[in-house]
Amino acid sequence: MVLDRLRLDGKVAIVTGAGRGLGQQMALALAEAGADVVCASRTQAQIEATADAVRAVGRRALAIPTDVRSSEQCKALIDATADEFGTLDIMLSNAGIGDARGHATELWDVNDEDWRDTIDVNLSSAFYCARAASKKMIDLNKPSGVIINVASGTALRAYTQNFGYGAAKAGVIALTKSLAVMLQRHNIRVNCIIPGFVAQRPAPTPEIAAMMQKQARYYPVQRLGEAWELGPLALYLASDASSYVTGQGFIIDGGGLAGGVAPVGFAPEVEG
Amino acid sequence: MTVADWPNAKRSLDAYDLAGKRALVVGAAGGVGRAIALALAEAGADVALCTSTSSAEEALALRKVVREVRDLGRNAIEQSTDVSSGQGAQVMVKQVAKDLGGIDVLVNASDVFIAKPATRITDADWARIVGHNLSATFFTCRAAGKEMLKAEMKGRARGRIINVASVLGDRGLPNASAYCAAQAGILNLSRALAQEWAAQGITVNAIALGWMDDSAALGDPTPAGNQTVRYIPMKRAGRAEDVAPLAVYLASDASGYITGQVMYVDGGLSTHL
Repeated sequence: MVLDRLRLDGKVAIVTGAGRGLGQQMALALAEAGADVVCASRTQAQIEATADAVRAVGRRALAIPTDVRSSEQCKALIDATADEFGTLDIMLSNAGIGDARGHATELWDVNDEDWRDTIDVNLSSAFYCARAASKKMIDLNKPSGVIINVASGTALRAYTQNFGYGAAKAGVIALTKSLAVMLQRHNIRVNCIIPGFVAQRPAPTPEIAAMMQKQARYYPVQRLGEAWELGPLALYLASDASSYVTGQGFIIDGGGLAGGVAPVGFAPEVEG
Repeated sequence: MTVADWPNAKRSLDAYDLAGKRALVVGAAGGVGRAIALALAEAGADVALCTSTSSAEEALALRKVVREVRDLGRNAIEQSTDVSSGQGAQVMVKQVAKDLGGIDVLVNASDVFIAKPATRITDADWARIVGHNLSATFFTCRAAGKEMLKAEMKGRARGRIINVASVLGDRGLPNASAYCAAQAGILNLSRALAQEWAAQGITVNAIALGWMDDSAALGDPTPAGNQTVRYIPMKRAGRAEDVAPLAVYLASDASGYITGQVMYVDGGLSTHL
């Protein structure tokens, strides 16, 4: 049965940035399909909540506070997972920060520290986790493994709000392709998810909901993506359902990147 | 701290459930079309199976798929129509919509391949390759799109269109100029229709395949031909069952925020430098 190929029973997954938003929803989707999930992020209280939700669907969970800018902490996260569960099947590198730093009105106002921090948290983190996780999978003699990175649509077009973020995420896409080919002989598949604008949480008030709906007119599908919608896609890439897929980026963006040569709604009619 | 509660969320494996959906699979007698049709049925959809040629062999193969779908407890109907004719596609799609009560999912999985030097491609070759790959895709999309637009918006999904294409829509290969052109047409047709119908709740995506295990081209006896499978990072050709789960995902309500995309199921082939 085709749906059986999506099951993750007996698998162990690590999800970084699992304390909220997309990471939390992806962690839950993997758990609901049968995986035990290690939840990582810097904020203990948030990952404890996700871990509790994983346990609530009957899976085992750990919450491990981790700063993914540190390669030591990434390695410790992976070691702790293997020590606790004896295995590691799925490494989902989702942690990233889009708007908290590197913000400046002018290019020359971005300082070195903010630039490096943007690259560290959004790109180096994926490298640190992939390096440690793939080595662990190989040392554990896993017959196969999966690495999923989360990039961003901002990697593929100009992103003037935070060009460093776009550049770092473009690095994640390139990293994904090279690692896919390099790790293929170990049967480790590497893919990335490329989200466009996706709401991290349901609108807390009707006013914010109205604001979000207003913003939605800029997207071909006329609505914003919702964090839960990343779950089924992550499950596809984490499971054997995608066993012939590697090195790819899966864009989930409401149609924006497939168009973008005119404002949404422009639909000319011209008799030639 | 709490976990976000999304009112519309479809959870995990439930997200892939296609119960109550009505799918039309064009090219259902072929390997990939058959695998997709069976997977959609396994996930709960009723399926109309269409073959574009009237060869006795294909008719027999299609009959077998019809039985397989019915064995899964789903409704199956069969159609034999040349969809490289706009009118043929229109009549067939209308009939399917009548028989199934509507069309929620269209899969274009028929594929016609020839390879020869451009200087030897005849007008008839060109017309056949472009007609059966690209024009047929447009004609079925046009006809099914009409039916989908007539339907009421159910939640956020009004329709799902999945066009099975090839990495050759993005890359060149010697002796495949007509096929490469037609496949590129399918990919960008998918993007354009995605833009046109996005606000109406119809998503249009393409699945691009690499070298498949039943590809006639892989029988090429030259040294380069023999090396082609080794050139794929996964060191094996694709199989029909590698493709089917992605089609189920793209047919489901869970993929509503994905449209205009080309997704590669190619063993890493398109990642090759």
